[in-house]
Amino acid sequence: MNPREAVSMAVRSVRSHRLRSALTVLGIVIGIASVVTFATFGASVEAEVLGDLQGSSANNVYVFASPENDDGFDRSIQPLFTTYDVNQIRAIDGVQAVVPQGFVQVSGVARGNETVARQQVTATVPETFANGSIVAGRPFEPGSAEAVVNEEAATDFRENLSIGDELRLDLSAGEARNVTVVGVVNGTAGELPVGGFGQQPRIYVPVDPFYRTVVESPTLGVNQLAYPQVTVITDPTRTETVEQSVAAYLANESDASRLKADDVTLVARTSGDFVDQIGDVIEQVTRFVTGIAVIALVVGAIGIANIMLVSVTERTREIGIMKAVGARNRDVMQLFLFEAALLGLAGSAVGVPLGLVVGWAATRYAEVAFALAPFWTVLAVAVGVVVGVVSGLYPAWRAARVDPIDALRHE
Amino acid sequence: MGSASAAPVVELADVRKTYYVGGVVEAMAGVSLSLDAGSYTAVMGPSGSGKSTLLNLVGGLDTPDEGRVTVDGRDLSTASEDELAAVRGTDVGFVFQTFNLMPRLTAVENVALPLVFDDWSRADRTERARDLLEDVGLGDRLSHLPTELSGGQRQRVAIARALATDPAIILADEPTGNVDTETGDRIMALLGELHADGHTILLVTHERRIAEHAERIVHVRDGTIERIEELGDR
Repeated sequence: MNPREAVSMAVRSVRSHRLRSALTVLGIVIGIASVVTFATFGASVEAEVLGDLQGSSANNVYVFASPENDDGFDRSIQPLFTTYDVNQIRAIDGVQAVVPQGFVQVSGVARGNETVARQQVTATVPETFANGSIVAGRPFEPGSAEAVVNEEAATDFRENLSIGDELRLDLSAGEARNVTVVGVVNGTAGELPVGGFGQQPRIYVPVDPFYRTVVESPTLGVNQLAYPQVTVITDPTRTETVEQSVAAYLANESDASRLKADDVTLVARTSGDFVDQIGDVIEQVTRFVTGIAVIALVVGAIGIANIMLVSVTERTREIGIMKAVGARNRDVMQLFLFEAALLGLAGSAVGVPLGLVVGWAATRYAEVAFALAPFWTVLAVAVGVVVGVVSGLYPAWRAARVDPIDALRHE
Repeated sequence: MGSASAAPVVELADVRKTYYVGGVVEAMAGVSLSLDAGSYTAVMGPSGSGKSTLLNLVGGLDTPDEGRVTVDGRDLSTASEDELAAVRGTDVGFVFQTFNLMPRLTAVENVALPLVFDDWSRADRTERARDLLEDVGLGDRLSHLPTELSGGQRQRVAIARALATDPAIILADEPTGNVDTETGDRIMALLGELHADGHTILLVTHERRIAEHAERIVHVRDGTIERIEELGDR
């Protein structure tokens, strides 16, 4: 029999049982829509987070201490990197700048008589703001009583902070220092790109004169400022080699390697490393959730198999008639397979757009940009048809094997 | 169309067929019979005598356990499933007691169904089916569903369907069993016309009155041929 005839007969048969076909298709629709929804949402989140991370920091190498057996998210805040280390790293070939970052403990930050609770401000150097993160004003001058705030910190006050505002930092032990806001940055300048959604409010002040954490340099035997983390800005073409050189220095010669506790590892990572790592995590979560959605699809497939079996039993006599007028086993098989595939295809045709719409709605709700997951979408359509065919295989085989004599006697 | 020469178009040689339905039923216990091309044969016997099995064997719906069934020179006892399907589709046409029409297809579509499996184009099928329905007097019932037709009309649709692929042999299993006497007479007249046109006809019935439309009557009982009664050409 001509396959086109088989398709037209299958369409007819599906349409002659509208409600039953619709309910069967609904199972596939739900399965496919779930898969597409979760895959789309996952792809959107991934694109959003990775887009945030990649930004302008691709040539940064982040140096920090991480507890053993950890992927590097749980950063230690031990001040391990001494001024000696900073200077040594600065001398490595391909390094453009080294930006140490430390924290100054505060009990609050005030403008006039409005105080905002804050545990620390970030002490760093002007190079932190090197790669275009300044949106207003200028970086602070080292040695001055100036501060740069990010947009999140600026909006913490009733009226947004602006250039020229005077801030009072309430340092520990009752000491207070006044600083002038000279610049606004976006994001969290110079920090590890692990913020993910949203950014933390940050107030940046110069290391000199605000940062005071000192340790004794094991190499030099003198007390030096020491920092919990250092960002190395590299020649963009040599980021990888610098990463390796820095890692080698840290492991073998650094003060930090001698100051650190045994269960702490010194780590040098590029933002690319983080992008890969976070991408992996998001992908795994997406796969897991999508895998759960596949269960819905399997349930839908069982629905098709079930209805096709009922259909074979119901139409036993019709199968007998077709065989009596010359239908071969494979014609009968083809008819039932096409019918099952049609149900699967209909499920895909409705499920994919539905999944895209729901996935889009989810991205709106989560406030991330919508991104397509083309692979999963195409896969979902293919799976719909394959699911239809596979769940139709056994019923179709049963149909083809119907004995025409028994079938013609069948009531 | 069957030829007018007296060469056998169907031959059964010592055919045996046993069913196992709650016990052994010997439906064919060594039957030999040949049908000449263009002949009109009735098979009579009580129910369970094996007359329907004989028809199913000739029509390729069933295969013998032993012996040979030859239709149009083709040995059905060794034929594959696909070959049997081809025999059913093009060599023979079935007319059943219960009509066996597809309930969701119109009269034209029912008649055209064998042509679907014989790979005819849609236009050719429809034209052929219309012609056949007009021949059996149903030119005004083309788009009716079986449920919209009377028993006699349904049987005429079934006869038109049996003729769709222009088979040499028409196999009729109690064709008048589900219609009233008057309608039954019209059905038998139609079969008579097909015979006159040169078709070989094998008719199964338990009614003497119906069997007498044939040229000869084969009496079967308990899976064997009891006697063959020649009625002469009518």
